Amino acid sequence: MKRRDVLAAGLGAVALTAPAVRSSRAQTKTLTIGGSVPLTGAAAETGLNVNNGYITAATYINDVLGGVEIAGDKYKIQLKLFDDASDPARATTLIQRQLDEGTDFFLGSFGSNIVLPTVAITERAKKPMVQTGGGSDAIFTRGFKYSFGMFPRATRQFAAASALFKTLNPGPSTYSVVYNNDAFSKTAAEGVRQSCDAAGFKRLDSFELPAKVTDVSSVLASVRANMPDMLLCVVHDQDSLLIARQMVATNTNVKLLYQGLGPQLASYREALGKYSESILCSTYWDEGVPYKDKFFGDAKKFTEYYRSKFTRPIAYHVAGAAACIETYVMAMQAAKSLKPDAVRDALAAADFETFYARIKFTPDGDGDPLTLGGMIGQVQKGKLETVFPEAAKTAPPVYPAQTWDKKA
Amino acid sequence: MNLIAQTLADGLVLGGIYALAAVGFSLIFGVLHVINLSHGILVLMGAYLALIFSEALHIDPLLCIPPVMAVLFCVGYAYQRFLIQHAVDRASVNSMLLTFGVALMLQNAMIWVFSPDMKSITPSYAFTSLKLGPVNLDAVRLSALAASLILLSCLAALLRFSPLGRVIRATAQQTMAARLCGVNVRHVYALTFAVSAAFAGAAGIVIGIILPFSPNDEGGWTLNAFVVVVLGGVGSPAGALIGGLLLGMVSTLTAQYVGPAFPNVTMFLLLVLLLLVRPNGLLGNAFAPSR
Repeated sequence: MKRRDVLAAGLGAVALTAPAVRSSRAQTKTLTIGGSVPLTGAAAETGLNVNNGYITAATYINDVLGGVEIAGDKYKIQLKLFDDASDPARATTLIQRQLDEGTDFFLGSFGSNIVLPTVAITERAKKPMVQTGGGSDAIFTRGFKYSFGMFPRATRQFAAASALFKTLNPGPSTYSVVYNNDAFSKTAAEGVRQSCDAAGFKRLDSFELPAKVTDVSSVLASVRANMPDMLLCVVHDQDSLLIARQMVATNTNVKLLYQGLGPQLASYREALGKYSESILCSTYWDEGVPYKDKFFGDAKKFTEYYRSKFTRPIAYHVAGAAACIETYVMAMQAAKSLKPDAVRDALAAADFETFYARIKFTPDGDGDPLTLGGMIGQVQKGKLETVFPEAAKTAPPVYPAQTWDKKA
Repeated sequence: MNLIAQTLADGLVLGGIYALAAVGFSLIFGVLHVINLSHGILVLMGAYLALIFSEALHIDPLLCIPPVMAVLFCVGYAYQRFLIQHAVDRASVNSMLLTFGVALMLQNAMIWVFSPDMKSITPSYAFTSLKLGPVNLDAVRLSALAASLILLSCLAALLRFSPLGRVIRATAQQTMAARLCGVNVRHVYALTFAVSAAFAGAAGIVIGIILPFSPNDEGGWTLNAFVVVVLGGVGSPAGALIGGLLLGMVSTLTAQYVGPAFPNVTMFLLLVLLLLVRPNGLLGNAFAPSR
């Protein structure tokens, strides 16, 4: 990423978090949406994407559309986003302060470990939070009524991948799963086990890694000793790269390597080069999705506008974050009100088409598994192609993957 | 049997890297009595500089060790002379707070300059492996181990045989006596810090070719260095090597035979046990006998 990129994001955040100067035009009011994002710390890489997505949507609505009309009044969006430094304790303090200052609507941070405690605070205050950063089941199984997530809960996120595995012919029959010891990864691994066991795949091993990983040699030695057809890794970006590099170096070959997070990033694909070929991952959006949108028009126009503002490569978290703001606006328009309870009810009843996806939530607040469920991407010729579902497919899946020495 | 051999080999490699990453921390603690909480930042500076040099000059990252060490030597000298020494002059605890503050500031500066994104250094042999009997070793880890052992030996030789090493040892053992003999103690402190920073930078290169890194990782490398020093003892490359190897072995054996999620548990259990049984570490304080 270029320095200018960080500068733009930083200045954008600072500008948008500055105290509001209400428009001199009497007819334009200010709609304040608060929240925190991790611009520093462990979650900053994706946090920056989420932050850029929020800024892109708010800037477009304010500068290009001149604001939005809600219940007969014109509003400009003011974002009050602060850096939570990937620290749940700091995030809760920031959210509580904003609640005390009278903020009624919130956007989520990135990372289930941050979203969970912050959403508990907004829930208690009966203020809605729409987020694209937390997928852990714990966020959606505590009876929260004011929390809405852009992803299905973690245990439901693997359904698309296991459905893809079933379509492969001749297909895999065994799998092992690798995950981190943290809220998101553990529930995601549970989702892998549930989906794959239900689909009839035989589980050979489950490997729990610490939250911070420096070496996976021992895990790979165990994998080689009990070789599965599929190695399914639901770990974080950095750990995915470490696992893949050590797999190549130790010649640990599986027919299918799936890494939930990592291959979506250009930096991951550059670091692995030709060895990233055929690695599968989850993806929730790409600029080719066919949805229409009342603000940007479609995904391509959103991408064009984003690229005019940022040099940082676009990722699905950018689009998801922008869709959070669109969802808020459409819910407020449907509710014809800016009262938190009315907006919450409109969010619960949401069925909006956006450039990101059709937005619809389950009664527990997580994304509808059908409309907001993931797609499966595969690295092919250095590019991430969508290989599932059929409707969004840009290339057929490659299976089995070539061995590492043949990729060399 | 194969699995045990593989696990021990992996532990050896990891331990060598831990040792190199900790030796600078150990030297600073032993000579200056300063707990350098910005040690992880110096390690990461080495990794980022190696990334810049190797991409700009299209050379193997390990060949970047001399220029990176030279840059960090200068940075370390200036850092100690113009910041840390002033804090130490007022109260020794100040240096800890200062290095913690500097670590926070530099971490954010790194995010500003390099972005929070993960980076990795990929040498041409990044995906090559060697098979020694039943043991599979990847070339980057093996070269990292070799670089660690060579650098640790160089430091040991520097401390043992060179005039600079003699002055450092003399200052660490009897500061007042060294001063009476005409040693410029402040200059020696700064030189010690500079040497330590240079070795931290070299460790950063070795780490960078093995692991993806980002500015957020600095705390982890400071913590690892702290554990290695407590295990092995203060002030000597041998202590760092023993501590590092012990930590590496414990980590891989625990990961293999207890569970990959448990190395930190056993690492800190070992730390607590050693603090109870042998608080000066396995090799003790290298400079203590003369004090």
